Amino acid sequence: MEIPYTRTNRPDTGLFNAKIGIWLFLASEVMLFGGLFSSYIFLRVGADYHWPVHELTLWPGFVNTIVLIVSSVTVVMAWANLKMRKIAQYKLCMWVTIICAGVFMCLKAYEYNGKFHHIGVKLTDGTILTGHFPEEGYRVKLKGGSTVTLNLQTADPAYFLKWCVTPNPQFKTEAGQPQPLDQQGALMAFIDALVPGDHDSSSLGQLRRDAAAKDQKSVKLTATAPLEFAVKESKTFSHTATSITFRDGTVVEGASVEDKMTLQVDKVDVRSSLDEDKALAWHYLGDEWKKAFEEHSKEEAESHKKFDPRDERYLRHVKQMEIHAPTVAEHNTQHGGKHSAEAHAPGEEHAAGGHAAHYPEIVIDRKDVAFWSSFTPKWNTYYAIYFTLTGLHGMHVVAGALVLFYFLVFDGRRLKEDPEHLANRVEVGGLFWHFVDLVWIFLFPLLYLL
Amino acid sequence: MSAATATLDHHGAHAHDHSHDHHELGFWRKYIFSTDHKVIGIQYGLSGMVFLLFGFFLMMVMRWTIAYPGEAMPGMMMLTHLPLVGEFFTGWVERWAPGGVVSPALYNMFGAMHGTIMVFFGIVPLGFAAFGNFVMPLQIGTVDMAFPRLNMMSFWFFFISGVIMFGSFLLPTGAVQTGWTMYSPLADTDQMGVKNVWMHGHTWWLLAMVFNISASLLGSVNFITTAINLRAKGLTWFRVPFFTWAMMVTSFLLLLAFPPLEVAALLQLADRVFDASFYLPTGLVDGGKHIDISGGGNPLLYQHLFWFLAHPEVYVLILPAFAIISDVLPCNARRPLWGHKLMIYAALTLAFLSFIVWAHHMYLTGMGTMMSTFFQITTVLISVPSVILLTCLMITLWGGSIRYNTQMLFATAFLPMFGIGGLTGLPLAFTFLDLFLHDTYYVIGHFHYVVAPGTIFALFAGVYHWYPKITGRCMNDFLGKLHFWPSLLFMNVIFGPMLYQGMIGFHRRWYDGGKYFEQVTSGHLWTNEVISFGAWGLALSQVPFILNVFISIKGGKKVTSDNPWGATTIEWAAPNIPPHGNFVTEPVAYRGPYEYSVPGAKSDFTPQFEADAGTPASQAAVAQAHH
Amino acid sequence: MAHDNHDDLSKHVKTYMKIGGWLIFFTFVTVGLSFVELPTHGDNLLVGMALAAFKATLVGLIFMHLNHERSLIYKVLLFTLVFVVGLFVLIYLSGQNPLHFGGFEGVTPGH
Ligand code: HEM
Ligand SMILES: [Cu+2]
Repeated sequence: MEIPYTRTNRPDTGLFNAKIGIWLFLASEVMLFGGLFSSYIFLRVGADYHWPVHELTLWPGFVNTIVLIVSSVTVVMAWANLKMRKIAQYKLCMWVTIICAGVFMCLKAYEYNGKFHHIGVKLTDGTILTGHFPEEGYRVKLKGGSTVTLNLQTADPAYFLKWCVTPNPQFKTEAGQPQPLDQQGALMAFIDALVPGDHDSSSLGQLRRDAAAKDQKSVKLTATAPLEFAVKESKTFSHTATSITFRDGTVVEGASVEDKMTLQVDKVDVRSSLDEDKALAWHYLGDEWKKAFEEHSKEEAESHKKFDPRDERYLRHVKQMEIHAPTVAEHNTQHGGKHSAEAHAPGEEHAAGGHAAHYPEIVIDRKDVAFWSSFTPKWNTYYAIYFTLTGLHGMHVVAGALVLFYFLVFDGRRLKEDPEHLANRVEVGGLFWHFVDLVWIFLFPLLYLL
Repeated sequence: MSAATATLDHHGAHAHDHSHDHHELGFWRKYIFSTDHKVIGIQYGLSGMVFLLFGFFLMMVMRWTIAYPGEAMPGMMMLTHLPLVGEFFTGWVERWAPGGVVSPALYNMFGAMHGTIMVFFGIVPLGFAAFGNFVMPLQIGTVDMAFPRLNMMSFWFFFISGVIMFGSFLLPTGAVQTGWTMYSPLADTDQMGVKNVWMHGHTWWLLAMVFNISASLLGSVNFITTAINLRAKGLTWFRVPFFTWAMMVTSFLLLLAFPPLEVAALLQLADRVFDASFYLPTGLVDGGKHIDISGGGNPLLYQHLFWFLAHPEVYVLILPAFAIISDVLPCNARRPLWGHKLMIYAALTLAFLSFIVWAHHMYLTGMGTMMSTFFQITTVLISVPSVILLTCLMITLWGGSIRYNTQMLFATAFLPMFGIGGLTGLPLAFTFLDLFLHDTYYVIGHFHYVVAPGTIFALFAGVYHWYPKITGRCMNDFLGKLHFWPSLLFMNVIFGPMLYQGMIGFHRRWYDGGKYFEQVTSGHLWTNEVISFGAWGLALSQVPFILNVFISIKGGKKVTSDNPWGATTIEWAAPNIPPHGNFVTEPVAYRGPYEYSVPGAKSDFTPQFEADAGTPASQAAVAQAHH
Repeated sequence: MAHDNHDDLSKHVKTYMKIGGWLIFFTFVTVGLSFVELPTHGDNLLVGMALAAFKATLVGLIFMHLNHERSLIYKVLLFTLVFVVGLFVLIYLSGQNPLHFGGFEGVTPGH
């Protein structure tokens, strides 16, 4: 049995099967990205914050645009060369295309990585500070930890123990028996100990049901020595002055909880501040930086006189300032010629850590922070759509490159025996590749430039 | 050459053929990882039926608590006493229905999963994927789909998606609980504070949908390419039966409407897993606390993306039904399909319009009067092609000598049932009426009339109609009638009162059936019980069908002809239980697809694939085809 | 395309390179223009998108051979385009209400 029209065109439609197939597939891809672009429009039109413009570092996006254009040329040349049976050129062009895809993805990874480590902090008065955390990141700290309450239905001892800084923590039950929690399989042993009795099957569910039958919901353990915790905030549910509740329901109580956030600031944005004169930022950064900011504002206002002061572009220049040095004095000397606030996102080029030398470091009370996040989808809807669009596009790049790689490396027999069929396949793969380029042609200006 | 003699010829040639081209595929390649469109069609069909039945079970549990809120279910106890699995059920039931009383969480879970399973795992796989896969390539006289391996992939994506979807019941969080529509912000924030978002019923729902959508996309690309490029010789566009046309139009709907749903699902995934705020407005409060999100998103975005798919989706549900009926009705009325061309154009118009009516599901979102008016107009417009389709089918019956076998009973019952469904949609199309009816049982009644006694009846008709081609045997007609009459009765007992309840003001998604809302429901709560008994009755009426399907495989009456119903389309030229590669000799289409009772012809049907029909017109057609 | 012969194709290859060059050139233009502050930012968006659309058209017509394709493909793409535009426009408009009274000119800020 042979399927007709895999190599040759059907006379009345003038097309071979795969050609119809790929165009239909691309039509659905148009709808997919169409849906995403219309989401972009909807979110941007309805945004209730200052939509970032020229905020991303330009050069990786720019280079990637060129890289994709080059690969588009080479992939169509690969097809033409294969049609002409110039095999060496065909292979060369295919390799260049695949390498371009590799370069594209490397730059993408570099860009993403920078954003994962760059932090935005929105203070309660609307002022936004961006910057970096010191090496270990931001942690909620608890000192003198004494008791732990574990919820029998949901708790997993490993979950809270991971954040205990004190080495080798020891616990005892209320009855005073030692209760180890730290070794492999501890959970089972733990629950076994909690629900004494004759378990024919040591099934977890059975044990829990036994506990439920006794109406026992949780169990309290006491630390044999005071413990210290430093917890990632996303692992906690809530905390008070003396206790932290973890996401699995475990509650750790101690002497005190300290919740402060250390930030190495690289930008101040007062566009949404309630009162920029009394912005909370100045409480932390100090008057000198405030003065520097005011000077910067005046300067920028002067050179953007032609704008209405409500214009986004005016605000973008005048109400934001990048910081390039740990002290105002150094900042001013570096701040020589006219500095474009938008040429790149500050600090994104640096990997995590090692920023203390470059930026002023402040310690913020957590109660003054309304919201904080790295520059991931959480930060705002712009970054959310940025990651969704570029992430999905990146997956298309990888998929396209894999398909072309397959044709190039694993389809050698077809190249010898049936090059015309292989040419059809390369054409179809190429069509997909061009589509990927076409999407980027819109993505680049929408996300990086406008 | 009559159909009967054709059979003998075929079988002779068939045996001959085998000795030449004999490469035996192993069990796995033949039945499990098959690339044969017929096997894939049957795989889709069987899994679709199992899922449909499962979705129906969920509904029966829900109907219990609607009729008898707070009372223990009698059946649940039986599950927990089953051998082997009993232990497992005990834990699960205890968690979600303590003491056999359906918890609100379980009700929500079953409600959401009922809708999802029925639409995406029941009707579409059955109507589109199963019938389309099995019948369409045969009907256009080709050997297989254009991309057989993609076809297999499509089924396995669907299968994976099913495993994920059903697996989500067993997660600690249970399956998703926010309605089949998954409206944000509730669907974004529901049970957000779990330890591991990846192990959450909602996340699994979204992942399952991504696989399900991918399966549909692969399928639709394959269907369209096949229909365009692999038609038999002589099968010009207007000789293509309406069945294949409808399948093609359905494919286009899936192809172009599903991607925005994929977007909707991806953005919701980002909201839940990566803490994005696509659908979450600024300042959202949950449980008295500000949620830790940036905000700045918009829940309406979700509804737009969702309904951009979900309205075309309702035509994906109904067009395959029209497809099946358009083959069954003419065949058993022995009349040509009235207005074949007109129906094709109507289906195309329907498809086109279905892309610009979606926001009639959103009248009450405050989207703006201008837009509401626009969508109101397009919605009223779209009922025109629907009515055309229905009218053409009814006129087809006119003057026919009707054979009331089981498939014909289902097919004729489809007409008024779909009619009620469509007509009850019209009031909903008007904003001022929808203001009152939106989210009431009236809407539930409306769309179930279209899908349940509508589409599902058509699917039954299709099973009875093509069963001989699939198995070489007929299904039992007595059991068939025992299936049909109670089904028809109970369908109406279930969905009729819903229209009435909705007009009184019964809201959908009430876990206690409205007991709590006395002001509205007092004096009418008994209707809940009627409906619930209807549902259980409907379940019983399916027993004859299930028995019939399985018993007839071995025990049904053997058919002696490849064309037992005296039908005209090309699939009947293939030998029964068609082999891989389908036809013994390459079929050629000599004429249109519905030549029944042609004056002067030697029998009351003249198949498309027979060269010599004995009429002058057909002689001319033969002559033409040979040029 | 069965009708392409070798001469044609080597001519095509030259075209491909030329178009590639133009695309890179227009990328520079796009970046440059984004730093020019036109009367409103909307104008910048318009110009940027027009340039992108132009570049996309070049890719479609030349690299994807849409300058000589079969009618069937055009039909499919035409409908797709109509639906995407519908999706854009209708979603956008439903966020606005054209009957909404926005105040007298100059009185409401930001309009
Ligand atoms: C014949 C013309 C039709 C019209 C004018 C129409 C109109 C409507 C309208 C306006 C609604 C929204 C009601 C509301 O939520 O307040 C609706 C809901 C619905 N319709 Fe139709 N409809 C038609 C045909 C169909 C068909 C053929 C199907 C399916 C096979 C269908 C399935 C549905 C479903 C599933 C819903 C409810 C979805 C939900 O909210 O969960 N309709 N219809
Ligand atoms: Cu609708």
